[in-house]
Amino acid sequence: MTNRATLFQMAGILAVSALLAAFSNAVRMDGLPLLGRGPSGESGAEGEITLDQAAALHAAQQAVFLDARSAFEFDMGHIEGALSMPPEEFADVFPSLASRLTGGQTVITYCDGPRCPLSHQLAERLRAEGVARVFVLVNGWSLWRERGLPVIRSEAASFLSSPPPNECTVCGEDK
Amino acid sequence: MTRLHVLLRFALGAIFLAGSWDKLLHPAEFAAIIADYRVLSEALVNPAAVLLPWLELVLGLLLVAGRLADGALWLSNLLLWAFWLSLLSARLRGLDVDCGCFSVSAQGGGHMTWYLVRDGLLVVLGLAALLTRGRGPRSFAPRLGA
Repeated sequence: MTNRATLFQMAGILAVSALLAAFSNAVRMDGLPLLGRGPSGESGAEGEITLDQAAALHAAQQAVFLDARSAFEFDMGHIEGALSMPPEEFADVFPSLASRLTGGQTVITYCDGPRCPLSHQLAERLRAEGVARVFVLVNGWSLWRERGLPVIRSEAASFLSSPPPNECTVCGEDK
Repeated sequence: MTRLHVLLRFALGAIFLAGSWDKLLHPAEFAAIIADYRVLSEALVNPAAVLLPWLELVLGLLLVAGRLADGALWLSNLLLWAFWLSLLSARLRGLDVDCGCFSVSAQGGGHMTWYLVRDGLLVVLGLAALLTRGRGPRSFAPRLGA
């Protein structure tokens, strides 16, 4: 087991590391603010939602899902019941959905990938338009598919992802 | 102290050194990855992003050099367990995060199982280095008064 000398060593290593870290952070140009998160000190303005919470709301039909990816990606496959609203098309699409989104309904935006900014951008636009309950499902499309939750896929996407049943992929002589 | 222990400790040190480099260069990206795990409160994200790379660097140097090796071994084992449990926790909560273990570049999704296996092996490596250190003198300093 550890003895007192080992504990002192651990404390010393931690202290030296903390001093080096604090000093280097203070002198470098891209140092982080140690009180707060992110280079600009901003905390996430929009809330995020977990996959479990989003799935429960989807099952209860208590949320509107907005797909922030491109229309092409949406057409290839999306969360069942989701609507396409890429941030760059927000001005064109939002007016037709405004009444549905501003009635106090929970709105969940998603895109694909843990760093995808589109869902956050869309959430910010929605908030600016007065949509109150907006949540981001980070990496939503990947997580949703991996969990096996309901999706709508285009025929082309289904064809590419899996061969039709009872149909050979490497066809030989025998049937 | 066996040759096996020295080899394992050296390997562990090299891994910590390799893991520290990209994070030292890109603290903001590393902070974003830590935040993605949703384990720490927001107030602790930046301090952790600043401290962890330096801690890894110092531990790596000490492990390779064989200085303060007991403390470095215990701390490195604690860190490896913390990293692995954070990954496991993220996986169990349905999160698909970038590991942030050796690189802060976005890796895309779908690698959680690989991260868990790889970091699990590192936990085993850390334990092996700890358990093979023996009960004799644990530093390169000569024994006095023998």
